[in-house]
Amino acid sequence: MKCFTEGKLTFKFESDDSSQYDNWSFYRNQFNSAFGGTKAIDFISIDSNHTWLIEVKDYRYDRRTKPSDLADEVAIKVRDTLAGLVAAQSNANNKNEKRLASLAVRKPLKVVLHLEQPETGSRVLPRIAEPSNLTIKLKQLLKAVDAHPKVTHQYCLAHNMAWIVSG
Amino acid sequence: MLKQATLRNLTVFKQADLAFSPGLNVVVGENGSGKSHLLKAIYALIATSAQEGLKPQSEAPTKTLLQKAYADKLMNVLRPEYLGRLARRKQGRERCELSLQFVESNLDIHISFATNSKSDVQVDQLPINWQDKAPVFIPTREVLSTYHWLSSLYRTSHVDIEENLIDLCDLLGALSVKGPREKKVAELVSPLEQAMGGKVILEPNGRFYLSIPGSGKMEMPLVAEGLRKLAMVARLISTGSLLDKGYLLWDEPEANLNPKLIKVVAALLLNLSLHGIQVIVATHSLFLLRELEILSGHRDYAKLQNRYFALCQTDSGMEVEQGNHLDDLQTLVLLDEELTQSDRFMESQG
Repeated sequence: MKCFTEGKLTFKFESDDSSQYDNWSFYRNQFNSAFGGTKAIDFISIDSNHTWLIEVKDYRYDRRTKPSDLADEVAIKVRDTLAGLVAAQSNANNKNEKRLASLAVRKPLKVVLHLEQPETGSRVLPRIAEPSNLTIKLKQLLKAVDAHPKVTHQYCLAHNMAWIVSG
Repeated sequence: MLKQATLRNLTVFKQADLAFSPGLNVVVGENGSGKSHLLKAIYALIATSAQEGLKPQSEAPTKTLLQKAYADKLMNVLRPEYLGRLARRKQGRERCELSLQFVESNLDIHISFATNSKSDVQVDQLPINWQDKAPVFIPTREVLSTYHWLSSLYRTSHVDIEENLIDLCDLLGALSVKGPREKKVAELVSPLEQAMGGKVILEPNGRFYLSIPGSGKMEMPLVAEGLRKLAMVARLISTGSLLDKGYLLWDEPEANLNPKLIKVVAALLLNLSLHGIQVIVATHSLFLLRELEILSGHRDYAKLQNRYFALCQTDSGMEVEQGNHLDDLQTLVLLDEELTQSDRFMESQG
């Protein structure tokens, strides 16, 4: 079991091969400045079947990214993270990061946008962003990586997502 | 079964090649992007072939007959002031070309006309046979409530009613199918009758009614407009126009329907496709698209191959994006508008 905090949320992953990719020393010290600057998704979790790339947004406390830019931001982070993982396999100085990168690129990829939203109090707009709209947008952008990207929140995790979220 | 349509210099289209699925085809695009022109042009060409073939003493297609017949139908359905007005507007003369290719290549058509053409097209490829079934074009508004006077007005006066409405009336007035096909009709119509709360009937006085169990007959003009649209489709299924095979071109099926009924329509479109009808719809409804996406994942519809088209404005005119999945389309203005509405809502929430 691995436990991480992202903002006000706590993620508990069943797989020990889970990590905060944006905290990897490879990303911070080696890859972040590559190509004039790269982005990183929040979590990578590798289970027996998949490599999960998880980006977390919490509209309850942080609204820096507009809903219309959200899918683009996730797509760019996924693209940069995949490039980082390929490079980390051979170039990461940290042995565990090197091992995780090698493991990660060998499994089918799954992309998850974990999006917490506040109660809006509106019946016609109960959420700020409609998850099904974001899913279509993510599919447009990420089909070549994951044909079925998911938008989730802490009370709506799919059965094959081996982690829990609270906060 | 329509396989491919090629439009060159038709109204807003400079060049468009559309590869259709035998099942459900969905066209999206902003207002003025040419969705209705596309549907009507396809309809006009197929309907001409079907209607000419049904005429008494009809013989094999000839260029002499069809150069006038195609022109008349295009004019009567799209209603330009003269035929050449359908060619894309730009300085100098321009030639519009329309080509339809079918799975049955003996039905293939290629016609063209210039910006100064008045009443004839040039038939570049003549179909060898007539279409054996009339296509169905459903417009944004229903015609059941005007059925009893619309056709006679058109045939006795020179009014500029779009002829596809009259063709639709003719199909609505046909007799209901009998025998073994009734079971298939019941299967398709049952969800519509459930949504309408009754059955559509055509009385000898030439008017349509909704027969509601326990409440008697309700005149069609008193039935909610959205339900009248469903009633039209139910009638077209029960008369065999939308049964076994054929074409359904439906412009904005979502118009006048609440989401509860759009859900019924989404299932109907897929069920018609399953029953051999080639469906082409133009829509502005993200709700309908999402509903189709949800239903398409269901095992009942697993063998259906849907096709999606987005009409997009570019500097060189309207272009077509297409793919087998909604997410193959990069230009989904209706989705982008929903997301920017979320932006505005987030700002308003402070």
